[in-house]
Amino acid sequence: MPELPIWQFDILLLILVVLFAVVALSIRNLMGAAVVFGAYSFMMCLIWAGMGAVDVAFTEAAVGAGVSTVFVVSTLYNTSATMRSRPGGLAFKLFIGLVVTIAGAFLLSALPDFPKWGASDSPVNAKVAPYYILNTIADSHVPNVVTSVLADYRGFDTLLETTVVFIACIAIYSILRVDKAKLETGEPAAAPVPRYDPGDSLIVRQASRFMVPFMQLFALYVIAHGHYSPGGGFQGGVILGASLILLAISFDLKSLLRQWSEKTLMLLVAAGVFLYAAVGLACMFMGGDYLDYVFLDSILPGEKDMARSHGILLVEIGVGITVMFSMIAIHINLASNGRFDRGL
Amino acid sequence: MEKLIANFNYVIVVILMMIGLWSMLAQKNLIKKCIGMAIFQTGIILFFISIGAKDNALIPILTEAANHTYPVSDASKVANPLTQILMLTAIVVGVATLGVALALAQKIYQQHSSFDEDEILENERK
Repeated sequence: MPELPIWQFDILLLILVVLFAVVALSIRNLMGAAVVFGAYSFMMCLIWAGMGAVDVAFTEAAVGAGVSTVFVVSTLYNTSATMRSRPGGLAFKLFIGLVVTIAGAFLLSALPDFPKWGASDSPVNAKVAPYYILNTIADSHVPNVVTSVLADYRGFDTLLETTVVFIACIAIYSILRVDKAKLETGEPAAAPVPRYDPGDSLIVRQASRFMVPFMQLFALYVIAHGHYSPGGGFQGGVILGASLILLAISFDLKSLLRQWSEKTLMLLVAAGVFLYAAVGLACMFMGGDYLDYVFLDSILPGEKDMARSHGILLVEIGVGITVMFSMIAIHINLASNGRFDRGL
Repeated sequence: MEKLIANFNYVIVVILMMIGLWSMLAQKNLIKKCIGMAIFQTGIILFFISIGAKDNALIPILTEAANHTYPVSDASKVANPLTQILMLTAIVVGVATLGVALALAQKIYQQHSSFDEDEILENERK
């Protein structure tokens, strides 16, 4: 193992991650648990960056440490952050602990059969993956292998993953969204008393007003430059969504919804998936297979051999649009309890 | 000990998955269950990333700025991109499913004003 120059650092981080996971689950205050879980995700993203997975680390930093913490916090804002402690239940917890330990022991018994950590000749690393590394430049002129595999070689996967995000967004709408007409005629739902309104703070407001344009510029760079550096539609979309979520938190939900009405949001979530699918259909109309960008070269600008690179960019923009607006829509639903009037 | 260090990543993967599974089964609080689900998921992602890691390998971005030389002749010096992209999409789908889980938890809280499983069940029986 000493071949890895800083493997001690990896081991330290891995132990820290387990500690953070235990703390996140044992802390009594749920708000605290959410914040520790954010720190856990950030530790995890350091580990992945150390293992050479820069794109994954970037995504985890934006999604795991950023947006999902915000989701948990906005859920707690509408509900309650305190856990009710009740006596008993220890025997049940210990029993589950025993079951889980046995399951873990079974998994660990398979440990000697796994290839050594960091082996480059393991089946995972030696069979399919080298093709992508050796041929991506010749095939698509995209130096970031992750981007070219994501949007080109395995474009179907990404199309359906984007669809999953879209479906999750619809699911959250159908679970939480409250009909306005019903709300007015029926008994008024008890609105939660806001404990703290950050919109009152001048410092928070001015600081976020200053930060948001830079965040959006960076996010656009991440989407457009995903071919040459870590990043792409997922990461850029999440950062774009986070910039507007920041506006919604620091001002209020109303001012965000004035710019992006509910209808526009949902249309744009669908538009991203549609753009992705339409690029695939365009390839078919030009005589190729679905998502075979080579056939788009007569429509797209640039040389013939750059067609795949440009096709990837189009698809990434579609992914970015869907992810951005679905993050915003999910946040608004969770923060306002589906009422779209006020919230975190 | 040598053996343990050589496979340390798998040990941590199993521990994280079991912590997450324990939390989903044993914790009574719905939010804690959601966090446990997310921990289980990051355990699996860590598994995929660590089997794709290679000793002394560079990041899978084949530019000169990342110390690569054109054309790449030795694939064993570049980290595995395939496991990475599978996990990249899994993370984004993970946050979407976490959102659905939290939405369900909120809806349950509206009905029962509690995240506690036992209290919800008592309310149901009334």
